[in-house]
Amino acid sequence: MDRRSFLKALGVGGGASALAACGLDDNQYYTPVEEVLPYVARPEQVTPGTNSYFATTVGSGPNAWPATAVHRDGRVINVGANRAAPWAGAVPQSALFELQRHFSPDRLTSPTKGGQPVEWTAAVDELATAVKQARTNGKKVVWLGPYRSGALGELLDTFTDGNAIHFEALGREAESKAAQQVFGSPVLPRYDLSKAHYVLSFGASFLSDAWGGPGEQSNYAKARNANHGGYVARFAAVTPMRDQTGANADDWFACKPGSEAQVAMAIAKLVAKKTGKGGPAARAVASADVNAAAAASGLTAEHLTEIAEHFAHGHAVALPGGIVGASANAVELAAATYLLNLVGGSRDTFMGGGYPGKVHGYDDVQKLMAAMKAGQVGVLLVDDADVVHNLPNGADFAAAMGSVPLTVAVTSHPNETTAKASMVLPTHSVFEDWGVEEPVANVYLVRQPGQVPLHGTMGLGDLLLKAWSKAGMGPATSFQAFVKTYLAAKVYAPTPEPIEGEELPAPAPDGEEAPADPTTTQAFARWFEGILQAGVAAPRRMRPVVLTAVGGVTGGKAEPAGSGDKYLIAFPHPHLLDGRYANQPWAQEQPDPMSGQVWDTWALVHPTTAAALGVSDNDTVSITTASGTLELGVEIHPCVHPDVIAVPTGGGHTRATGRYADAVGKNVATVLPAEAAAGGTQVWQSKVSVSKGSGQADLVSTFGHDDERDRGWVAFCSADEFAKKKDEPAPHPGEMTGIHHLELDERLQEKGIQGFYPIPDHPTYRFGLTVDTNLCTGCGACSVACYAENNLPVVGKHKVKEGREMSWIRINRYYKQDAGITKDHGVEGDVSVHFTPLMCQHCGHAPCESVCPVLATYHSIDGLNAMVYNRCAGTRYCSNACPYSARKFNYHTYVWPEPFNLQLNPDVVSRTMGVMEKCTFCVQRLRRTKSAYRDQGFKKTIPSEALEQLVACAEACPSQALTFGNIVDEASAPNFTRKSGRNFIPIADISTYPAVNYLAKASFYFQPGHHGGGGGGDHADEGGHADEGHGGKPTDAHGAEKSHEPAHDEH
Amino acid sequence: MAHVEVIDPNDPGKPNRPDTYGETNRDILRVLLKPSVGYMLGVLLAFTGMVIGGWSWYQQITWGMGVAGITHPTMWGVYIVTFVFWVGIGHAGTLISAILYLVRSKWRTGVYRASEAMTVFAVMTALLFPVLHLGRCWQAYWFFPYPNQRQLWLNFKSPLMWDVFAISTYFTVSVVFFYVGLIPDIAAFRDHSRGLVRKFYGVLALGWRGTHRQWYHYMAAYGFFAAFAAPLVLSVHSVVSWDFAMAPTPGWHSTIFPPYFVAGAIFSGCAMVISLLMPMSYLFDWHKYVNTWHYENLAKMCMLTSGILTYAYGMEYFVSWYSQNPYEQNIFLWRATPTAAYGWAFYLMVFCNCIAPLAWYSKKLRTNHISLFIVAAIVNVGMWFERFNIIVSSLAHNFDPATWWYYWPSYIEWGVLIGSTGWFFFWFLLFAKSFPAIALTEIKEMVEPPVKGSV
Repeated sequence: MDRRSFLKALGVGGGASALAACGLDDNQYYTPVEEVLPYVARPEQVTPGTNSYFATTVGSGPNAWPATAVHRDGRVINVGANRAAPWAGAVPQSALFELQRHFSPDRLTSPTKGGQPVEWTAAVDELATAVKQARTNGKKVVWLGPYRSGALGELLDTFTDGNAIHFEALGREAESKAAQQVFGSPVLPRYDLSKAHYVLSFGASFLSDAWGGPGEQSNYAKARNANHGGYVARFAAVTPMRDQTGANADDWFACKPGSEAQVAMAIAKLVAKKTGKGGPAARAVASADVNAAAAASGLTAEHLTEIAEHFAHGHAVALPGGIVGASANAVELAAATYLLNLVGGSRDTFMGGGYPGKVHGYDDVQKLMAAMKAGQVGVLLVDDADVVHNLPNGADFAAAMGSVPLTVAVTSHPNETTAKASMVLPTHSVFEDWGVEEPVANVYLVRQPGQVPLHGTMGLGDLLLKAWSKAGMGPATSFQAFVKTYLAAKVYAPTPEPIEGEELPAPAPDGEEAPADPTTTQAFARWFEGILQAGVAAPRRMRPVVLTAVGGVTGGKAEPAGSGDKYLIAFPHPHLLDGRYANQPWAQEQPDPMSGQVWDTWALVHPTTAAALGVSDNDTVSITTASGTLELGVEIHPCVHPDVIAVPTGGGHTRATGRYADAVGKNVATVLPAEAAAGGTQVWQSKVSVSKGSGQADLVSTFGHDDERDRGWVAFCSADEFAKKKDEPAPHPGEMTGIHHLELDERLQEKGIQGFYPIPDHPTYRFGLTVDTNLCTGCGACSVACYAENNLPVVGKHKVKEGREMSWIRINRYYKQDAGITKDHGVEGDVSVHFTPLMCQHCGHAPCESVCPVLATYHSIDGLNAMVYNRCAGTRYCSNACPYSARKFNYHTYVWPEPFNLQLNPDVVSRTMGVMEKCTFCVQRLRRTKSAYRDQGFKKTIPSEALEQLVACAEACPSQALTFGNIVDEASAPNFTRKSGRNFIPIADISTYPAVNYLAKASFYFQPGHHGGGGGGDHADEGGHADEGHGGKPTDAHGAEKSHEPAHDEH
Repeated sequence: MAHVEVIDPNDPGKPNRPDTYGETNRDILRVLLKPSVGYMLGVLLAFTGMVIGGWSWYQQITWGMGVAGITHPTMWGVYIVTFVFWVGIGHAGTLISAILYLVRSKWRTGVYRASEAMTVFAVMTALLFPVLHLGRCWQAYWFFPYPNQRQLWLNFKSPLMWDVFAISTYFTVSVVFFYVGLIPDIAAFRDHSRGLVRKFYGVLALGWRGTHRQWYHYMAAYGFFAAFAAPLVLSVHSVVSWDFAMAPTPGWHSTIFPPYFVAGAIFSGCAMVISLLMPMSYLFDWHKYVNTWHYENLAKMCMLTSGILTYAYGMEYFVSWYSQNPYEQNIFLWRATPTAAYGWAFYLMVFCNCIAPLAWYSKKLRTNHISLFIVAAIVNVGMWFERFNIIVSSLAHNFDPATWWYYWPSYIEWGVLIGSTGWFFFWFLLFAKSFPAIALTEIKEMVEPPVKGSV
């Protein structure tokens, strides 16, 4: 071989082997060869790699809420707002907890009998046989579950022959019973808080998901928001404790437990006197004794007169108790609030036609239990109501289940009750099923699947229909068809009901003969398509139904049962609710808005009571009732009546509920009396004796200090003043407390120099957010939405204790105790509670950016404080430099147990250990929106409307307290609010020029010119100059703070 | 026999000056003999510390920074505290070897070699921490500006970046200066050893023959490096202080930091030199070379810098009051609150750094080896806690009271701290046993020149 041939051979051979080596790489990290193939049959409505949105309904009964299921590549990855729905678009946190529940690793995946897997056909056969047998033997077929309205409610009634028990632990039973008593109909009344000027609550948690659903919160926000209103709704709470809802009250009247009904009657009497209204309601309240009520409640007659005066002004609404007011006379209280609303003449805020579905009471469940024990029940279907956990005598219920020949769990997620069932037939989650809900009379919310079922489950409706037809009692049909028929009957072609003056909608399109089954027509198919897109079907205008009293109420004080000198009050856990979300890590890790507690059950104790007991934070107290003793960790809390120990519901589950709920907290229901109250409702209060427990609890709170020490993290303005000015972009007469702006030297100002450094250039966009602290109720929906959107890991109690929760939004809860902002009513040392959601402020002069050695964080041209995870080496210097402490560090690589990983947002990378992260202003959504607008013509900037609720937190916020937008755009919403006199920047004197601005909270006590402790404080600034950082747009020099107090004592 | 002359007029006149070159050689070269049991135990102890540190770091790399106690918002803890501590320790070495050389201070001769070695090893120890404390330490090379295919560059605005340059420059210059000083002494070691060891020293001696020409160049180079290293004493710790002073964090954001840090560095460094040299002197019986004269001078340096530090501590309080800055006021008041989370650390620091060195104002205590050693040890502890106070308490009480949260080191961090101490002493012990820890040639300069028959 000559030299040339050798080189040729070498070249060819070498090249060939190199090529071969590329394909034969056995390195496992070698990128696999992937082939891109088109679908042969493309799935309908889905484009791979992009989101599809399905209007659907989350929740059930009165808490049903219109939402959109965000579908991506075969799975629902998020829940969005449905703006086509009648209420303002929002995503309540419970909707997101439902999403996590849908992907729960503890979900029931296939039918079992006695723990052994069975086939669906065999299981349905067995159910059908059992139902048939029960019917022939004259035994009852009972379904027990949460409030189910609409199509499923109707189907359940048919299936059980009227023996469907709709029961919820945090339910509306008292209101329904009271409605029966006062109005002669169990249909709940409807409240329209959006028109209220004065909201008087006797304990209803209407600003959380625990009472009334987020619709109330949205409506309250409308009344509270003076940006567009001209008034600010005032909120007074007559309760023995302030939960998260009560924390938002302007006036807290701390009454003794059990006295609320009497107080409500007394107020009603005073209001009736003022308004001079006659009628049955006024007659019913005439016998009330104001002085006796004042004495019983611990308030004064002046307090009651004060409330009555506000109430008599009109546009007022009184809300009943929830479970905080569900003492021995919850029904009386609800009835009294109805009468109060009637005498107050608030027809625009209080009307008939609320939730029309069935609401069963505690007494019904007790009767069912007796029937079960007596062998009168042949088949018991247990839906998503964990009665074994929630009833004080849950163990009895579990025992009674043994007396029923066939107990079937028909839920998607296990709990203590399903663990006792002899057969488990797992149902679809809300994101896999069909349905129609009717939360308010004549408003139908449609549920459609957002994805194919994850597991081998069956929809509850389908299951019932299958068993029904198997038993030979009805035709074989699917639940989807049933839903169509239901909608056709209720909305599409309703049987005309003769209502005077009411215009009925056209039953069917013109020219078509209404066929026997309208659902088979083309026109219906088109109509149904439209309904599915909107997610809501309402056949006619919702006309307020005027209520008149037909019955009265005695309204005496009812002392809670038991003995002891203190009262135990169970209040709804703001996230776990009655415990249904206890196995959802998002719900457990979301701090309690008031105490910051996570992953536990705690006891709220008033400071004076704690001092008397000799306990401090995290010590334990023993709470003893006739039913037992509960030892709980103490959280000292100024927002409870000194005689009250308040404990949240929803804790103390067993492994039956799931791995995350297992042994977390304690179950307060176990120490409550099992006897029903006089009205037949469940009792959530008891007299107790309390003593100091042994040892320390292991409570974990995410909160640091309660007091913001006049550093300018919170601001108050005068509600009256700012209501007059409607938040106009003009110098505002209502100056604020607590805001300090260090002014630049006069010589610099003369030269027009605003700051030391130039402002970053933002030619097209500077994204910004406005947080209205007047609207924020602290509910935490924004934070949960952020977890869902941005793949935030849940770290667990142990790591939260080490301060390592990953939430990008921290909702600071500050107490302000100041004569100028609060007023004590019945309890000494009341505080004003201030919620401030804090996320990355996307500063124009971000201290974090300049200190990062590797440029992992930088200021983008769109005004974002961008964070490049891949570039981050983890010096954590940025976090140290951040004045807002907004950055979170990945201390570990967190894993999502399957199938939680399916929920991860594919647009957002999941971070690994050693990397810093923080709020990105949902940059993935911004990119998507920008691309969409660029596709429409390249030069267009995104219009303001498309941005306002774009970020996940703003989309979720039920109060719409968060408004997003482009500050460069003069017409954008954040730009509008930035000119408001209420606008402030926390710790503005650090001059970071943040993109997140805040609006001051309205106070009814704060008077302009008053500075007691609220402002100035330990600052040396002269004059409160509301300059927007270095924004060059000093609004005005309102607020000449001249009063300075000496530096505060440090502890 | 030659009479021992008092060479330095400031020398209190120690009679135990070496008599001859030969005696000096014998004393210094004695270290090359078989190690004693005590020495071997010391090495073993240091090595055990390194193993503990290595295991701790391994845990941290495997599981993430979460095994350390750092928490939101106190993102820096023991690692950065110890980093600053060791960088500070290094400063005394350069001060003694370079600045005292330039000002021709005679007492430096006996102590400078060991102090320089201390500098090099202290900086080597300090260098561990910027890597150790990284969330992703395997990316540490990103901190060097080099052209790369990722087209990424560094942020030269970041004080951490300045740190990279300051510390790496300092390390390079210290090592070179140290090595240049060592060359004639290594040659002496070479000349007194055999076999492989001789080869080893032979390579390191770079062909030193002690010719006039070599000495001429050597002295020029040494002077040059001394002049080069001198400003670093001031600059390096100033840059380190900017890691804190440049961030807006209350308790950090202060213009007093550079001089305050430099003074603290020299303070801790001189105390550390006492702590290191005194046992070494006893171990190798070098009282002729390192003795009370040196310790007393080092103690005087400490007294001066302790005064500066005390003034700086006071000035921080004055400034926070005078500025009326609420965040600063809070931090300083809170730090000094005895019942507060880190109140004890503050009072420990004040005792160690401000009060304990006052003992040395008594000549008796300043010249007593036991009191010298105890106070120097106290100062070392105090200076660690000074950095703990600055770093941890400032971060724990940041701007937003709702985030106030307290840090406590985890056992992993203590393990790393033990490991770093082991690492330092490991190198120092190896050095002391294999290199002249006392500058042979410079000592000889102080010995009366040999005359015939004197050896």
